[in-house]
Amino acid sequence: MADTPIPLEVRDITKRFGDNEVLKGLSLTAHKGDVITLIGASGSGKSTFLRCMNLLEQPNEGELIVHGENIAFKTTRRGREPADWKQVERIRAKLSMVFQSFNLWAHMTLLENVIEAPIHVLGKPKREAIAHARELLDRVGLLDHADYYPAQMSGGQQQRGAIARALAMDPEVMLFDEPTSALDPELVGDVLKVMRDLAEEGRTMIVVTHEMSFARDVSSQVIYLHQGMVEEIGPPKEVLDNPQSDRLKQFLAPKH
Amino acid sequence: MIDLQGYGPRLLEGALVTLEVAVLSLLLALILGLLTASAKLSRHWLFHRIATLYTTLIRGVPDLVLMMLLFFGGQIGVNMITDWLYYEFDVDIFININEFIAGVVTIGFIFGAYMGETFRGAFLAVDSGQLEAGRAYGMSNRLIFRRIQFPQMMRHALPGLGNNWMVLLKTTALVSVIGLSDMVRIAAEATKATHEPFLFMIPVAVVYLLIASVSEWIVARLQKHYNVGFGEADEWNN
Repeated sequence: MADTPIPLEVRDITKRFGDNEVLKGLSLTAHKGDVITLIGASGSGKSTFLRCMNLLEQPNEGELIVHGENIAFKTTRRGREPADWKQVERIRAKLSMVFQSFNLWAHMTLLENVIEAPIHVLGKPKREAIAHARELLDRVGLLDHADYYPAQMSGGQQQRGAIARALAMDPEVMLFDEPTSALDPELVGDVLKVMRDLAEEGRTMIVVTHEMSFARDVSSQVIYLHQGMVEEIGPPKEVLDNPQSDRLKQFLAPKH
Repeated sequence: MIDLQGYGPRLLEGALVTLEVAVLSLLLALILGLLTASAKLSRHWLFHRIATLYTTLIRGVPDLVLMMLLFFGGQIGVNMITDWLYYEFDVDIFININEFIAGVVTIGFIFGAYMGETFRGAFLAVDSGQLEAGRAYGMSNRLIFRRIQFPQMMRHALPGLGNNWMVLLKTTALVSVIGLSDMVRIAAEATKATHEPFLFMIPVAVVYLLIASVSEWIVARLQKHYNVGFGEADEWNN
């Protein structure tokens, strides 16, 4: 028997929106401490692929195994859907997501945002959740903003707050959906720095991004998607520094 | 206390009836409104159809007509059922539709349709990313509703709910038509007996205004509560 279960395995995921097949059989294995970056042009399916991993989108085919637990599906009149939503909720709690548009809950302070799911989903005692949240806010440099509402913070601060919210779940895997795409250029650095620190301390991360220097420095594996298929996959040195396909070469070429 | 030619205490009792009818109708209307909004937003065609029928019917027929239909028609319906029970099963019961309940049910039923439209718009105004974040963190639909969707929806719903409540309050005057002794009916009786309309109708108007002002204050406080986190950005120090 394996000593510890693999945090996340995804096998042969396909996804259709109507007649449009956006994912054509994608697989991925995230071992503990892996940082996998998904790159590709817009429309390549990278965000949809990520959203299939925590079932915000329902894949039409394929398997999902989170920490050794296989997600059960059933086929209904409306199509394929999870057989047991309680299982889905349990598994989502292990895969916390950071969104492009932050999605901090607007009616709660930053601290309330960070303790919300640990208390109400994981059942953590409030006192403990607050202590943990304050530690995490300190880590992302926002302890002095604990009582601010999201609308009172800059985009960069909101995204770092959202990362603290994700960390508060002690997740198996962190999913990042273009975390810096909605930010002003001068705010991107702070967010990437927090993400680099997380990668360094051995967090398992799957990151959809356009930040090639981040992908190069931090990833254990880079996956280049094109039209819902894996075009190239491998360590960043191979994929980013020595691309094989013309398409990837063109994608990586400096833009003016 | 003001004597009002001996009608003072009865008018006060009537004011209490008005307030009771209004508050109970409001509760019923809020519940029906939430149900209607959920039905209209659900993907289930039957729920959707029933809710649409309900709102179309209510908004297209005058309140007074609906009230008479429910009060008199309801009594006939109940009698038919009790008669049938008597002939078929020898069960002898008599149910009299009480004016108070008929009033509350009718007004609640009418305003449930308006509340439903208000709630529906408010639910649609909540940013879907807020709910998605809840889902992504393993929250159940119930938890998302209670912790995120409802509090954020209320911010959008309150102005409309407050407005509906003001109209509802004034609509309670209609219950005097089916014989309920609310403050309007008592004032009308007193006016007939004494031929002094101003003596009775002005206090009645003042009581309505009083209830309306207190309501406005409550709605404003609720609005402040549900607006937390959504204020103007420049109100804040950042």
